[in-house]
Amino acid sequence: MKKFAQLAIPYIVWAALMLILPMGLIAMYSFMEQGNSIVSFSLTLDHYVKFFTDPDFLVILWRSLVIAVKTTVICLLLGYPVAYFIARSDEKVQNMLVLCITIPTWINMLVRTYAWIGLLSEGGLIQQILGIFGLGDVELLYTEGAVLLGMVYNFIPFMILQINTSLCKMDHSLLEAGADLGANPVQTFRRITLPLSIPGVINGITLVFLPAISSFFIPKLLGGGQYFLIGNLIENQFITVGEWNFGSAISMIMAVIMMLLMMAVKKVEDRNQGGKEE
Amino acid sequence: MKKGKRPIGKTLTILMIAFFYLPILYMMVFSFNEGKSLTVFTGFSLRWYEHMLESRDMMEALYTTFSIALLATVISTVAGTIAAIGLSKSRKIIRDLMKQVNNLPLMNPDIVTAIGFMLLFITFKVDKGYMTMLLAHVAFCIPYVILSVMPKIRSLDPNLADAAMDLGAKPFQAITKVIVPQIMPGVFSGALIAFTMSVDDFIISYFVTGNGVKNLSIMVYTMSKRVNPSINAVSTLVVVIIMLALLVINVMPVLMEKQRKKAEVGKKSLLLPIAAAVCAVSVIVLVAVGTKKEESDLPYAGQTLYVYMPGEYIGEEIVPLFEAQTGAIVVMENFDSNEQMYIKVANGESYDIVIPSDYMIQRLREENYLQKLDQSKLNCVDALLDAVKNQPYDATNEYSVPYFWGTVGIVYDKTKVSIEDLESQGFNIFLNQKYRGDIYLYDSERDSFMMALKALGYSMNTEDQGELDAAFDWLVECVSTMKPEIVTDEIIDNMAQGRKALGLCYSGDATYIMSENENMGFYMPEQGTNLWFDSMVIPANAENVELAHEFINFVCGYDMAYDNSGYVGYTSPIQAVMEDLSGEGGDYEGINAYLPRTDYDLDEVFVYNAETRKVISNLWSKVKIAASNAK
Repeated sequence: MKKFAQLAIPYIVWAALMLILPMGLIAMYSFMEQGNSIVSFSLTLDHYVKFFTDPDFLVILWRSLVIAVKTTVICLLLGYPVAYFIARSDEKVQNMLVLCITIPTWINMLVRTYAWIGLLSEGGLIQQILGIFGLGDVELLYTEGAVLLGMVYNFIPFMILQINTSLCKMDHSLLEAGADLGANPVQTFRRITLPLSIPGVINGITLVFLPAISSFFIPKLLGGGQYFLIGNLIENQFITVGEWNFGSAISMIMAVIMMLLMMAVKKVEDRNQGGKEE
Repeated sequence: MKKGKRPIGKTLTILMIAFFYLPILYMMVFSFNEGKSLTVFTGFSLRWYEHMLESRDMMEALYTTFSIALLATVISTVAGTIAAIGLSKSRKIIRDLMKQVNNLPLMNPDIVTAIGFMLLFITFKVDKGYMTMLLAHVAFCIPYVILSVMPKIRSLDPNLADAAMDLGAKPFQAITKVIVPQIMPGVFSGALIAFTMSVDDFIISYFVTGNGVKNLSIMVYTMSKRVNPSINAVSTLVVVIIMLALLVINVMPVLMEKQRKKAEVGKKSLLLPIAAAVCAVSVIVLVAVGTKKEESDLPYAGQTLYVYMPGEYIGEEIVPLFEAQTGAIVVMENFDSNEQMYIKVANGESYDIVIPSDYMIQRLREENYLQKLDQSKLNCVDALLDAVKNQPYDATNEYSVPYFWGTVGIVYDKTKVSIEDLESQGFNIFLNQKYRGDIYLYDSERDSFMMALKALGYSMNTEDQGELDAAFDWLVECVSTMKPEIVTDEIIDNMAQGRKALGLCYSGDATYIMSENENMGFYMPEQGTNLWFDSMVIPANAENVELAHEFINFVCGYDMAYDNSGYVGYTSPIQAVMEDLSGEGGDYEGINAYLPRTDYDLDEVFVYNAETRKVISNLWSKVKIAASNAK
């Protein structure tokens, strides 16, 4: 047992160097007064105070959370049945389907998003199709709907993949046993399939929610510059404004919020796993 | 198990796949578009494929993208799986802690991770390029693998490995023969996600790369001056290669009598297509790059020139001809904003030629990042227009040679906007309710505040807080009552298609819009506007100063400058070129946007002021927040 635990050591060292150290630098900036130099080191909480005392920033934070939650819920509702269907198919078909879903993600995100701009724009394909049903002048691009669509499009493959993974190696005899004992399909699903897929669902939620909340290209391109989320604010602080300290502080605030949310999710997971842990 | 009787699941899956491929198909169709537009199909043509095959940059980017993605996927999948197995047997506290650490790159916006890595590599003085990019990709891919593998390991019987070892298996065998096959689906999906993340990543790659190494994402994102449709051609090529590889993989087993075990299908069907795709891509690249010139006795043979400029901002012939004439190799890096460029230059990245805008040149100069040009080596100064000389950012012309120049004005649809409104209201037309919902603003704090300050009759370089606040109120009124769309370069395509009546636009882009759509006009308000210059400078830490001067002279030569301005559409600072292109029979005859207004007192050039810039940046964030609140 102990021997296997040693396998984690190289990664712990690597993570300390490649993940914790860079974040440490960012954390340091967030408490520093001005500029990027370590020489003039003076601690301050100003950047945090600035964020929390400005209602505008809190509004964007809230809006980003809301849109990330919406994205996650849509991905879950649409992704679960698809993952379930895929997991139930023949192994060969299953692999084909999984690849079919992943291949589009190997095309650059911006290229795909530009295609969406074309599809959604005024006089674009989708508007023309809607026009047949007399809905020709519904505005599509530069709306919240477009941002949602872009996010779902980009992140749903992760949800499907994760749920599918947890479903496909499930012991089928469990389902048969359930059916033999008189459970109807709905009961089998609720009592057996669903609980067994929870780890995948939680992973899927993590992989959709986390990138959704910090994404800034999708809102920028599909929502237009007027669709301003927390990711845009951070990007703006780092690149355009050049206020790394404030940008770092917002980023730290986000990281803490995310960590708390993840801990809450973990609680749910643990409860679900029950006595499974050693 | 009932098969084929899941109509809902089946329909949903089919719809989902249609949803995934709709934009891909759209992109493939547009790779055959004759025109430059990404939204309007004007005719069939293969020109973007030709362009792609001719472009060494694009082929190299394709190669970098997929070789990095493949390496990063393999490395991070192996390392991540081992780490996950190790962590699953570690003490709970370590495991929980590492899980949080693991989430760091996932939950931080990419820009934060990117800056973190950049600082790390700078701190340790690692030479930036392919290796640093690979390291960074491995670093952000491993967490996805661990995340995918972890739950699979936890669902295993913890005694499995012990049982195997009791039966005589060595620990290594216990892992490879017993544990790994059980967790394969997790490993598989982890690898898929890692590959996706690596292929898609722009911002982290951008800040950790150097030496001209770039992936496709960097190329696309820095095509700041108009997206080049050959990127669609490259993407189509990738799709086709993957599809072919998949087809081969799935036909081969049939031919070879299905001797393969089912369990193996999972990993093979992933690895083979990627491997095949990468091989195919590398072959194409080798063919494309292989035709490179051989060593010669040209004056600069074997030397390298590092150029850093906006993407899609140079005529296509210029670099190849310069290379042929001098024997040097040009390594081109692109940026999509002056500020993005500043971060790299200020952090010690070395280039020989940089092409920033006026106010940024002033800033670089004031912060001692530039060196004086050697006037004795320049032979192009006399050819320059008087109007582009002695500008405030470089009053004595010692540091810079103009590359393109122009103004900012209003592009308008002549069929929708009356010229009287423009003449009487100038920039205030953006507050005219008649055009509500029919305007584009440009997503740039400088240009937006310029517009507002000019509309109010102030100087655009004002430092007066009261005037800035007034401009802020003007902009807030605009975004909250006029329903504008705040866009960047999409404005070019959109106005060329006549989608809105009015837009704030650079004169060079307006030139292109007007040459595409004759209903469009360009108006420079009498309130004055911004006169801007993008100029070539040599950074203080440049390594090949001699060659840099050579490049400046080359670009300013008549033929090259003509080609450049003709291709990009921005105004040339070379007098003869500007006159010929705008004169009788020239490409831009009769297009007023091509000829910037000069000697007009109310037109100004941006002056850099650190404090004011910060104020404006923050106010602009607030304007955008007001805009999203108004939605």
